[in-house]
Amino acid sequence: MTQYLLKRLFWMVPLLVGISLISFLIMHLAPGDITTTEAGFNPKASEESRQKLRKIYHLDEPLIVQYGLWLKRMGTLDFGESFAAHQRPVLWQTKDKPGSPGMIQEALPITLLINILGLVLILATALPLGLISAVYQNRPPDRAITVFVFIGFAVPGFWLALILMYWLGVTHNWLPISGIHSLGYETMTWPAQWLDIGRHLVIPVFISTLGGLAGISLFVRNGMLDVLHQDYITTARAKGLSEPTVVYRHALRNALLPLITLLGLSIPGLIGGSVIAESLFAIPGMGKLFYDAVLMRDFPVIMGILTIGAALTMIGNLLADLAYAWADPRVRRGVAG
Amino acid sequence: MPRNLVVSVTLMLVACGRPDVVQHVDLDQSYPTQAGGTLIDAMTGEPSNLISMLAGESAAAAIAGNIFNSLLKYDKNLELVGELAQSWEVSPDQKSITFHLKPGMLWADGKPLTSNDVLFTWRLVTDEHTRTPYGADYKLVQKAETPDPLTFRVTYAQPYAPALDSWAGLHILPQHLLHDQDINTTAFARHPVGSHYYQLSEWKNGERITLIRNPHASQGQARIDRLVSRFIPDPAAQFLELMADNIDSMNLSPIQYARIFPARPELLKKIAQYRELGNAYTYLGFNLHHKPWDDKRVRLAINYAIDKQELIDGVLLGLGESIASPYKPGTRWSNPALKPYPYDPKRALALLKEAGFEDHDGDGLLDRNGKPLSFEILTNQNKERQMSAVLIQRRLKDIGIDAHIRVLEWASFIGRFIKTGDFDVVVLGWSLGQEPDQFNIWHSSQMDPGKFNFIGYSNPTVDHLLEAGRLELNPDKRQTLYHSFAKQLYDDSPIVYLYAGYGLPAIHKRVRGIDSPAPPAGIGHNSYEWYIPEPLRRNEISQ
Repeated sequence: MTQYLLKRLFWMVPLLVGISLISFLIMHLAPGDITTTEAGFNPKASEESRQKLRKIYHLDEPLIVQYGLWLKRMGTLDFGESFAAHQRPVLWQTKDKPGSPGMIQEALPITLLINILGLVLILATALPLGLISAVYQNRPPDRAITVFVFIGFAVPGFWLALILMYWLGVTHNWLPISGIHSLGYETMTWPAQWLDIGRHLVIPVFISTLGGLAGISLFVRNGMLDVLHQDYITTARAKGLSEPTVVYRHALRNALLPLITLLGLSIPGLIGGSVIAESLFAIPGMGKLFYDAVLMRDFPVIMGILTIGAALTMIGNLLADLAYAWADPRVRRGVAG
Repeated sequence: MPRNLVVSVTLMLVACGRPDVVQHVDLDQSYPTQAGGTLIDAMTGEPSNLISMLAGESAAAAIAGNIFNSLLKYDKNLELVGELAQSWEVSPDQKSITFHLKPGMLWADGKPLTSNDVLFTWRLVTDEHTRTPYGADYKLVQKAETPDPLTFRVTYAQPYAPALDSWAGLHILPQHLLHDQDINTTAFARHPVGSHYYQLSEWKNGERITLIRNPHASQGQARIDRLVSRFIPDPAAQFLELMADNIDSMNLSPIQYARIFPARPELLKKIAQYRELGNAYTYLGFNLHHKPWDDKRVRLAINYAIDKQELIDGVLLGLGESIASPYKPGTRWSNPALKPYPYDPKRALALLKEAGFEDHDGDGLLDRNGKPLSFEILTNQNKERQMSAVLIQRRLKDIGIDAHIRVLEWASFIGRFIKTGDFDVVVLGWSLGQEPDQFNIWHSSQMDPGKFNFIGYSNPTVDHLLEAGRLELNPDKRQTLYHSFAKQLYDDSPIVYLYAGYGLPAIHKRVRGIDSPAPPAGIGHNSYEWYIPEPLRRNEISQ
C-alpha cells in the first residue's frame, strides 16, 4: 500500500512538468504579452519603454528559456510575482514584502467557501432527490424531481441571479446585492461578521447549487436503479427484509461508490470560480483572477493557477482511488494483490 | 429535510436584513453647503496600484487623481492652470520652463512638499530601472534643477510644447518616503501618501478602496469626508446597487440612460442624470499600405457611404456627437470650420466609379479589374464598436461593397493584427486628450511595428505641422497650426470619424454642488466642492 502510494506520488512529478510545459506553450500561442495590454494603446507609452519592460520580464528570450526560468523558480516553490498587479506575489505573501498578500492567497478562501458550501448543499439535496427518484422510478415524484433539476440546470444562472438580486435586493432590500462584505464590516462583532458574509453568499451559493443538482441527483438515481436490479437485492427481498433495510442498507451503500470518483474529480473544481458569477456578484474569487490574468497576459498568475489546478486534479484522483479502496473491500484486495 | 434546512437558514439570513428604508426627505429641497458625509461610487475595474506612472489603467488614474497632485492641471474649460505650481514661465527661447511652487505645502504625513520632491519624481520616471511605459516625454528634459525649495526648472534641448501637458500628467511623489525604496516593488504603491484632497484609508483587495479627507491637503479642504469606490465589474449589478441606494454614482450605458431611466419615475425622483463630453472617439481606419485604400477617392467614398447619424442613433441612442477633427468639440483645438462628411451614397458611387469601381459583371458588387471590392472590418470585443461595424456593413452593402466583420479579443487583436499591419479596415477608438499634439498617431516616422501610426498615414504637410506644433508653446499660434492639421486630415480622410459618445454619469440627488450642464472638462472637475447635506446622508455607515 505504502509502495503504491509512493509510486503514484513519484509519477506525479513528471506528469506535472509535462502539463506545465504544455500549458506554458499554449499560453504563449495567444498573441500579445503584458506590454500589449498594459498601456499598450496609449500614445504616451513609447515602443522603446515597452521593449525595456519586455527585457525586464524576460519576454524577449526564447520560449524554452522562459520556461526554464519559470521551472527553476518552481523548483523552490516560488510562484513569482504578477506582472500586472504591481509585483504582488502570485501565491502567498513573502517575508520581504509585508502588507502585500498573495493573489491566490486572497482569492482562494472566498472561492473555496462558496464552492464547499455549494457542494455540501448539492450533496445534501441531490442524494435524497436521487434516492426518491430511483425508488419511485417513472412515477410522479420521479417525474417532478427530474423536471425540477433539469429546470435548475437549464435556467441561465446569470439571468436567475439578476432576477433574485432585483427581487431580494432592490424590491425588498432583504439581502445585499453584490460584494462579500458590507461597508461597516470591520466594526462588527464576529457573529455579525459571519452573518454579514452569510447574507452576501445566499444568492451566489443558491445559484451554484441549483445548477449542480441535476448532475449528481441523476447520477445517484441511475446508480440506485442499477443496484436495485442486482441479484443480491432480489435475494435480500426474498429473505424477507423490510423495504427500508433493502434500500438504505443494501442498495444505497453500493450505489454511492461511484460518487466517490465524482467527488474526487470535483476537488480541482473547488478552486475554480465561475467568471460570470463572480463578475456579477463582484466577488473577488479565483475565476475572475484567472480570467483577468488571461486577458492581461499576466503569465506568472496564469501559470500559477494552472499548476495548482493540475496538482489538485492529480491529488483528487489519488484521493478518490484511496477512498475507493477504503470503502470497497474488492478494490482493496485488488490493490494489495 | 435538508431543503427545509436551506429554506430556514435563508429565511433567517433574510430576516436579519436591515430594514433600512430611506427616510422621507425632500430630495429637491435646497440645503446649505456643509462638510462631511460619505460618497460611494462604483467602478468596473480595480487599480493594480496607485502610482500612476506604473499603473496604466483608468481605474488607477481615477483614484490616484484624488490622492496625488501634479505641477499643473486642466481647469473646467480644459485650459492649463497651476496645481502644485502657483505660476510658471517659459524662457524667451522656449527651451526652459520654470515652475514656482505654492509656499507651505505639506504631504499628508505633515512633512513639507518642496521642489526636491518634483526633482525626485522626474528622476524616477526617467530612470531606466523604473517599470513605466511613460518615460519618453520626460527623457527629453536635458537638465532639471531646483534653485530653491519652491522653484523647479527644466530645460529641453529644443522647445517642446507638449511638455506642459506632460507636467500636468505626472503625479509628484514624496522623496522622504521613497528615496530608499525600489519603486517597482515598494509597498507605497498600495499604501500611498500624497498631497491632494484625500488619503487612502483602506484598500480591500477586489472589493473597495476607501479614501478619507487629507487634513494637510495642498489645495484646500474638500467637503465630503469619505469617498468609497466599490469594484463591481458587471454594469447590471452596478445598476441594481444604484437602484437599491447602496451606491451614489455610476456611469450609465446609453440603454440605461435613455431607456431604463425614463421608464422608472421612482428612479428619476432620487437620481440625477448628467451628460458630459466623452474622452474618446470611435473611427473606421484604413490600412493605407493596402490597395485600394491608398486611393483617396475610395476613402472619401466610404466616408460618404456611412451614415454617422444612424450610428449615433442606433449605437448610442442619440447620446453622442459626430466630429470632424480629432479634438473635443467646443474646445479651442477643434476646428469649427470643419463639418462632418454628410451621408451621400450617390456621391460615394460617383467617387468609386472615378476610381474604377463599377459593377461590371452585374453580380451586385462593385469590381475593378475583375476583382470585387470586398474586405474585412476588424474590431475588438467592444459592444459599441461591434454594433457600429454591423451598421456600416449594411450601408456598404447598399452601394455594392462586400464587408465582413471579425471580432477579436484585445491582446490578440493588437498583437496579431495591428502590430503586424495585417488588416484592411479597423473600427477602433482614440482618446480626445487635452493636449493637441498627436505626433505619435499621425507623423510618418511613427509607422514601425508597435508604434501608433499603424494605418500608415504619410503626408509631408501634416508632418511639418505636427513638428511645428511641438516647437510652439504659445497657445494661440498652436491653435492655428492644429486647425490646419485637422483640415489636412479632413481632406485626406485616412480615417472616418464615426462618433464621440457622451459620458453619462448618474448621481444620487443627495449629492449637491454639481455643475450642470457639464463644462468641457466634465462634471468631476469640481468634485471637491460637492457636498452631502446632513439630512440626506445614509445613516448606516456613520462611524
